Amino acid sequence: MSQNLESVKNLLVFLGKSLLSVLEALLFHVISKPRKNVAGEIVLITGAGSGLGRLLALQFARLGAVLVLWDVNKEANDETHQLAREAGAARVHAYTCDCSRREEVYRVADQVKKEVGDVSILINNAGIVTGRNFLDCPDDLMEKSFDVNFKAHLWMYKAFLPAMIANNHGHLVCISSSAGLIGVNGLSDYCASKFAALGFAESMFIETLAKKQWGIKTTIVCPFFIKTGMFEGCTTKCPTLLPILDPEYAVRKIIDAILQEQLYLYMPKFLYFIVFLKSILPIKTGILIADYLGVFHMTEGFTGQKKKT
Amino acid sequence: MNSVADTAIFFGKFLYYFLESLVFKVIPKRKKDVSGEIVLITGAGSGLGRLLAIHFASHGATLVLWDINQEGNMETCRLVKQKGDVKVFAYKCDCSSRIEVYRVADQVKEEVGDVTILINNAGVVTGKSFLNTPDHLVEKSFLVNAISHFWTCKAFLPAMVKANHGHLVCISSIAGLVGINGLSDYSSSKFAAFGFAESLFLELTMIMKTKVKSTIVCPYFIKTGMFEGCTTKYPLLLPLLEQEYVAQKIFNAILEEQVYLIIPKFAYVALFLKQIISPKMMIALGEYLGVDTCMTSFTGRVKAEELQMETKRKEQ
Repeated sequence: MSQNLESVKNLLVFLGKSLLSVLEALLFHVISKPRKNVAGEIVLITGAGSGLGRLLALQFARLGAVLVLWDVNKEANDETHQLAREAGAARVHAYTCDCSRREEVYRVADQVKKEVGDVSILINNAGIVTGRNFLDCPDDLMEKSFDVNFKAHLWMYKAFLPAMIANNHGHLVCISSSAGLIGVNGLSDYCASKFAALGFAESMFIETLAKKQWGIKTTIVCPFFIKTGMFEGCTTKCPTLLPILDPEYAVRKIIDAILQEQLYLYMPKFLYFIVFLKSILPIKTGILIADYLGVFHMTEGFTGQKKKT
Repeated sequence: MNSVADTAIFFGKFLYYFLESLVFKVIPKRKKDVSGEIVLITGAGSGLGRLLAIHFASHGATLVLWDINQEGNMETCRLVKQKGDVKVFAYKCDCSSRIEVYRVADQVKEEVGDVTILINNAGVVTGKSFLNTPDHLVEKSFLVNAISHFWTCKAFLPAMVKANHGHLVCISSIAGLVGINGLSDYSSSKFAAFGFAESLFLELTMIMKTKVKSTIVCPYFIKTGMFEGCTTKYPLLLPLLEQEYVAQKIFNAILEEQVYLIIPKFAYVALFLKQIISPKMMIALGEYLGVDTCMTSFTGRVKAEELQMETKRKEQ
């Protein structure tokens, strides 16, 4: 008898919470959610030397945060350092770090903890892509993709999460990809790594919830291709529905999502619809739609970023 | 004019495929004949791997069994041979090592032939909260559950593509579609396996290798000893699955060339909901379904073996 009562209670709690969250979501569609103040927060960005990482660094500089920039490319990272200072950042620290190496991550992390302090906003952004068909992709490149795009996140969490938990204050940002929601041909290693990054961030988010660590926030970002040079040569058949995103737009939306402590951010908005369709449509219709949107030919002209070092 | 024709064709095909799928929900699809196919199963030494091997043997396939555990693999070999005149080859292989995978794969190609059905099933789980899991165990999870799929596919896919005949089966997990507390390393490795398999599926579709099929399986916890100690809050909606039931469903899905298989059926609903509801609702749903507490009493394989030894001792 008491078990039935327990089940009923659980169901009522669940329905109650659902109703509240629906009302809250509707409310926040009308009025904007408040944006938190990040002045003084220590923001660490991996892959800060170029593209999204650099733009995020500049935005955070304008918001008064303390910047810690990591990149494997020292020259590019130093340039971001310079630009960040010019944008008004009071404190900027740049470190050269190859995120794919666990020991290096731990070593540089220790340096950061000593020289700067406890990181409160961690942005796992560093990423590489090979853009080749699976059977044509050399094994070591596949491993590297995986190590930079995903394994690095494991080590970063291990290095910086404990302090966030001790302070019950932190924000974990995972830059995944639309290729972390749906498999794409020509990007098998990239997809595997971005799926893993998403799954890991989601799993860890649930872990923080279960441990009632309310002060730890998570934001998972899944953008379509962004015009940063990383996916140079990729095309889209339907620019109105699935545009190759403008970097400034992408960064603005990501910053908003972080400041409003949003959990998921898919860009463009049409992606929400695609993922929804994927969960209900039979395979052949799904492939048909993908074909219509030109998804299968997206990576054909891929040339990628010109190798810098 | 072209785009009007394009759109019309698109809607026509869309309707056709939609109706076709509805038809197949009512009348079952034709099951393919696998006698004579060379089926390679990783992690064949126990659990799901073993049961799948027995199913394939009963249908006349040639079996290639890989496992890191020699004893378990031999036992599977013995059980398979009981099914009659079946060709079975057992190899010891640590899938987490790329070199070993390639070496044993070459042996298989020489001694058995071209693998036509590849079942990436081997899996390990640590089940501890992430910060308490030692780095090398986290790495191992990845290497076995996800990276090994890269190497086995690299080894056996070229022959399948050349012959335009083959089937790639990826045993992922519900934890590969939604994050679960206490399973971050396992979950992310299963996400990776899923994404990789899906990507490959699309790549094969693109290059018109329509006879190289893919099946991606996402079961909830199965009672094989791997997730010993896990609990479920609502057995009616999300039951801890029986091995036999899952193996049968997977086997059928392979024979019917189904692309995705999510077990139990309720999970389809939960995943569909996940796409449309706000994060807070998703959290409430997760809490309701016990996603945050299912791993708290996890003990895993060790306990299961100890229990088995206890029962054996008592029987003697």
